Amino acid sequence: MALDALLQPVVLFFLLGALAAFARSDLAIPEAVAKGISLYLMMSIGLRGGGEVAETGFTHDMALAGGAGLALSLLLPLPAFWLLRTAGRLDRTNAAAVAAHYGSVSVVTFATGSEILRQAGMAPAGYMVGVLALMETPAIITGLLLARAGGTDSLAPRGGLLHETFLNGSVILLLGSFLIGMIDGKDGLVSIAPVFDSLFRGMLCIFLLDMGLIAARRLMDRRALTLRTVALALALPLLNGSLGVVLGMELGLDAGSSAALGILAGSASYIAVPAVMRLALPAADPGLYLGMSLAVTFPFNLTLGIAYYAWLATHLWPLIRT
Amino acid sequence: MTSTIQRRRIEVLADEPLIAAIVRLANNAGITHYTLMPTIGGAGAHGRWRDDQLSGATAKVMLVAITSTEHAAAFVDLLAPLLESHHLMLLLSDVEVVRGVKFD
Repeated sequence: MALDALLQPVVLFFLLGALAAFARSDLAIPEAVAKGISLYLMMSIGLRGGGEVAETGFTHDMALAGGAGLALSLLLPLPAFWLLRTAGRLDRTNAAAVAAHYGSVSVVTFATGSEILRQAGMAPAGYMVGVLALMETPAIITGLLLARAGGTDSLAPRGGLLHETFLNGSVILLLGSFLIGMIDGKDGLVSIAPVFDSLFRGMLCIFLLDMGLIAARRLMDRRALTLRTVALALALPLLNGSLGVVLGMELGLDAGSSAALGILAGSASYIAVPAVMRLALPAADPGLYLGMSLAVTFPFNLTLGIAYYAWLATHLWPLIRT
Repeated sequence: MTSTIQRRRIEVLADEPLIAAIVRLANNAGITHYTLMPTIGGAGAHGRWRDDQLSGATAKVMLVAITSTEHAAAFVDLLAPLLESHHLMLLLSDVEVVRGVKFD
């Protein structure tokens, strides 16, 4: 499974982007194109998930997975904060900002993981897209509370922060597309499937090529990263992801959905959370939290993490079910 | 010959998420006319940076305003305590403008 995951076109394009950046090639995807594709991916993921939920209806598993996702997003920053303060030797503000990233989620890691799980015959349930949207913001609240305990000097008014946290573009687009998918159902989405379904993998390849370039270039500019923070950027996804898989299994989710919960818990945000943290905790170093989440954790999850969460779910399934 | 009048030019380089708050500070100082300009990239005390539309967290925007000496001084007083903690760059210069009434 690990080798299969590595040889998926999406992962290979990511590696191509990273190699191009390391070789100091002038290869570049225009920023506006990358931004447009990221919006496309969120719409596509939301529509597909909503369409699937329209078929299955609201289920007990869906409620359990949603509750688990909310709890994970709220609570995962706590042990991460402790580890970052002790093992990482970060100050309170930086530790809180980084911890929030590790409680929140990466949409692209989820999209890539879902594709890899689908190829392996472990497609996660459609409602996991709703769980993805639910997990975007609670970690931000926890991170801000952890930082506020030490006092901050944010320029942002309280209302502005709440607005940025709950109404940020990715949450609106994911939830909105999910709802549209639920309203129209799979049959209603047939007319737009050529754009949002057939093109999805190709678009993901272009986006991951760009992500490879960005992640590698950020790693090359790694002023803020130390051996300790790099080690934590590898350990946190493993710990959080394993917890997510085990929790999914214990709640009775199928192996694919448990693996997806592990992918969500093991991923770290690099779109929604950094913008809020830059506004709310300006003293925190963006080079540190973006370096850890984007340059270390994201490539790790893409190349090894997803395969590990899937392996764990596959091997835990018979143990927990017997 | 066209007559000109002296005004203060203010330039603030800041991360995009902070710009709305900085515009609010400028308004509080009496500066209501300004221009926001995108940037491509650069390097400074905190390392290299480049346009980042994906998260927007480290994309930098330049605020440019031409205003009276009094308004400029009030804005500098509000912004100066934040320069270090918020990683801002503030530039001030004297400029000659035509139609000075437009830049009060």
